[in-house]
Amino acid sequence: MDSYVIDATSRTPAIKLDPEAGTLLIAGESYPEDVRSFFNELTAQITNYLATGPASFDVDIKLTYFNSSSARALMELLDQLEDAASSVVVNVNWYCDPDDDITREFAEDIALEVKGATLKILDLDAE
Amino acid sequence: MEFDRFFQFSQLLLKDEFVLSYSGYVSEDILEAVGDTLRQRLEDHARDVAQIRNVFSIFVELMQNIIRYGVDGPQPGPDTGEKPSFGIVMVAENGGTMDVIAGNFVSAEEAKGLSDKLAILGSSTPEELRELYRTKLREAPDEKSKGASLGLIEIARRSTLPLSWEVTDTHNGLSFFMIKATV
Repeated sequence: MDSYVIDATSRTPAIKLDPEAGTLLIAGESYPEDVRSFFNELTAQITNYLATGPASFDVDIKLTYFNSSSARALMELLDQLEDAASSVVVNVNWYCDPDDDITREFAEDIALEVKGATLKILDLDAE
Repeated sequence: MEFDRFFQFSQLLLKDEFVLSYSGYVSEDILEAVGDTLRQRLEDHARDVAQIRNVFSIFVELMQNIIRYGVDGPQPGPDTGEKPSFGIVMVAENGGTMDVIAGNFVSAEEAKGLSDKLAILGSSTPEELRELYRTKLREAPDEKSKGASLGLIEIARRSTLPLSWEVTDTHNGLSFFMIKATV
């Protein structure tokens, strides 16, 4: 499987899925014009990766902003990762701006429903 | 448009407290363009990064609500064949705090639905809003509400005061719904 790499746009995050390294990075902002289409593509790529029977999957989420539609899509993404955790070691690092309570609370609420995967909430460094 | 009318209009908009306003057809393209302008203006007007983030988030959610609720307005929109959405959004500074105000036409029925939802949000604590958001996230997007509820809850969470709103009847059977968020 090839790497899935897309550049960030003003409304969508950069995505870097590296099947060799077993890593996924989602970084930037997320308020796409078509949320479904953007995240369906990502979901499909993750499904492809998981189908290769990897041992592990390390996911870094570094989003400085995401709208409510993206929030729902992110929740579904975590559901997909949680499902995968029954056969793959899944580690999620969710980086949140220390000044943004709402985003942090969102990550914490998602974390409540994550049992098989490991989810850590970390500080996003200002760049 | 006579000059004296234009002058009065300009005097209003040229006051320091005006950060940005947009009126007319609202689409995702418009959201992006106006949003980019807003970001630049917020750099000058806002007191800190948190306020910029909260104002911008509220702006995006309000604009997307207008796009989804899409009711025609008096100004012409593009001939895309899609349901036209007309709205007015304004960001104004108010001695350190910022008001984000949006207005759009809705049916009387929708106005009632929105008022009911907002009344619940207005009487909820931050913890209750968080719980409401968490619950709403898990529900399938309600076809009728077109996801407005999740966005409204987010707007309420990012505001420092309870949301305020007003509905005014217009002559053609529609109501003009106005909502204000303060950060």
